[in-house]
Amino acid sequence: MRTLNVLLIEDDMIEVMKLSRATSSLNLNHKIIEANNGEEALKLLEEKDKLPDIILLDLNMPKINGIEFLKILKADDRLKYIPTIILTTSNNQRDLLECYKIGIAGYVLKPLKYEDYVSKIEKLLGYWSINELITT
Amino acid sequence: MSQEEVDILKRTLARERASRKAAEEILEAKSAELYEVNQKLEASHKELTTLYSKTNSQLQGVFENIADAYVIIDLWGNVLKMNQAAIDLLGFNYKTEDINLMDLVVKEEIHLVAPSFKGLLEKGTITDYKVHVLTKNNEKKLVHINASTIYEDGRAVAAQGIVRDITLENKYQQALVAEKQKYGNIIANMNLGLVEVNNDDEILMVNQSFEEMSGYLEEELLGKKGGDVFQADSNNDRIKIENEKRLRGESNSYELRVKNKKGEIRYWLISGAPNYDLKGNITGSIGIHLDITELKNLEFQKEKLLQKLEKSNEELQEYAHIVSHDLKSPLRSIDALISWLKEDNKDKLDDVSLQNFSLIETTLEKMEQLISDILNYSSVASDNTDLEPVNTQALIDDLLKILYVPDHINVKVLNTLPTVCGDKTKLQQVFQNLISNAVKFNDKENGLIEIDVEENDNFYQFSFKDNGIGIDPQFHDKIFKIFHSLNKSKDSTGIGLSLVKKIVNLHDGKIWLESEPGKGTTFYFTLKK
Repeated sequence: MRTLNVLLIEDDMIEVMKLSRATSSLNLNHKIIEANNGEEALKLLEEKDKLPDIILLDLNMPKINGIEFLKILKADDRLKYIPTIILTTSNNQRDLLECYKIGIAGYVLKPLKYEDYVSKIEKLLGYWSINELITT
Repeated sequence: MSQEEVDILKRTLARERASRKAAEEILEAKSAELYEVNQKLEASHKELTTLYSKTNSQLQGVFENIADAYVIIDLWGNVLKMNQAAIDLLGFNYKTEDINLMDLVVKEEIHLVAPSFKGLLEKGTITDYKVHVLTKNNEKKLVHINASTIYEDGRAVAAQGIVRDITLENKYQQALVAEKQKYGNIIANMNLGLVEVNNDDEILMVNQSFEEMSGYLEEELLGKKGGDVFQADSNNDRIKIENEKRLRGESNSYELRVKNKKGEIRYWLISGAPNYDLKGNITGSIGIHLDITELKNLEFQKEKLLQKLEKSNEELQEYAHIVSHDLKSPLRSIDALISWLKEDNKDKLDDVSLQNFSLIETTLEKMEQLISDILNYSSVASDNTDLEPVNTQALIDDLLKILYVPDHINVKVLNTLPTVCGDKTKLQQVFQNLISNAVKFNDKENGLIEIDVEENDNFYQFSFKDNGIGIDPQFHDKIFKIFHSLNKSKDSTGIGLSLVKKIVNLHDGKIWLESEPGKGTTFYFTLKK
């Protein structure tokens, strides 16, 4: 199992806390990088030698929202290869369709119960840590 | 007496003899001639007599057999003779009663009789005289009379006339005139513009309404082509196409965008039909024009409103999703924070605190369910229903596999459920809500839920019967209203039944219930076939 560089794009502070607490309680050594919005994330992604392995993306964000961010990502020749998983509360059918159309690697609904969340995160990270990824 | 004298006497005698003979001969010839003439005269007299009697009998025949009534009167109007037709017409018979024609004329017209009678005597004839008479049966008839005077030795002695009953003819004519007047009035006064064109599309006639509709006077339009004058879209050859259809004898009706004299855009509904002459040739066409601008504007307005509504529905839908997201996020955060508090203070919290934490969690769950239900409810909008055949039997079978039904409750489907036309997801919500309600509110040791269907002419009537706690009649209407949960419990948000009703109504169905508190409830709803 490889350790992953995970870019979490999330504006809610507690959501950020949830992911880091979940990974640490699961004893996973993945490295979590945080961005509070799309703009910040794009800035981080400018450094092409430090690209994340996967991106966890919230849809409802101020300024550039998740879908807009996704479009920018997929239009970039390099960034488009980073698997991007949507992590959101919205089960809006239209969002789901739109995201898959643009190109995503997964769509995970945030559950109400924290323990359900931990279990989903465990599976998600477990899956991607056994995947071969494009690194150069 | 001398010889000479004797000779002279002899010669004289001979001359006398000869001349007497000649005279006798002449007399004889004359007498024969006279006889001949006499003979001839006699023959011609005979001929004349036959001719006379022949003519007379011919006249008699004409008199008897003429289809028109024929009457001979004296100078005072007394009938001397009348034929059968006259008897039939007037009802009187001159043989059995005295008739005076003057007496038959209706009171209102009696003053007209004397002058015309006088005219007859003075001029010898009268033609086309019309008068109303009363027959023996008191029937009022309009008659037409042609009459002439009969003279004897140059003196007027009587009059003869042909009387024709034109009552019916007159009635038909009046009816025809009235009819013509009626249609004339309709055409003149109707709110429909009428235009008559010839085979070259040139305007022959327009009515007043059309003048008002178009703003043009008739004389401004005569001889012009309607397409050239009115058509708003110059490249539109609709008028041409439709007129060609009419030339083929087809009637038609179409809408057209036109420009009136003021340059305003109007919409006309034009119905046209070919116009024929007496021989059946198409001579052009007649078009009836109705100004439907207001209607058209309403239609456009409606379209706009619909678009707006669709958009605002969409926005509302988006809005509901965003709101539900924004409302759910804090709940998730609270749940995470509680978990951490519990985790971080594992051995420091007493039972009461743990119990309170657990209550907070339950409240959060209920809150989240509520938000989901509201989102669901608002998503059931009428316009995005996808109708497809739905096998309700399969739907129930699938549902019963995933729904939690406790062991002590038995769910029975009494009949094979039909396939109906509807939205599968929404119908599933209906069935799911009704089953879970029946499960939730069952207090019996052996719970029973019976699902059944009855087929009617136009719809299926489904029933969900349970032996649960029942519902007090005073709440039967209330339970279908949103947020009217009767039982405040963890898993009841008060939206379920209102959602069910909304969906059933969306499918043009009805929902109602029968219930006895303590014994159970049956929900009925209908779905169109």
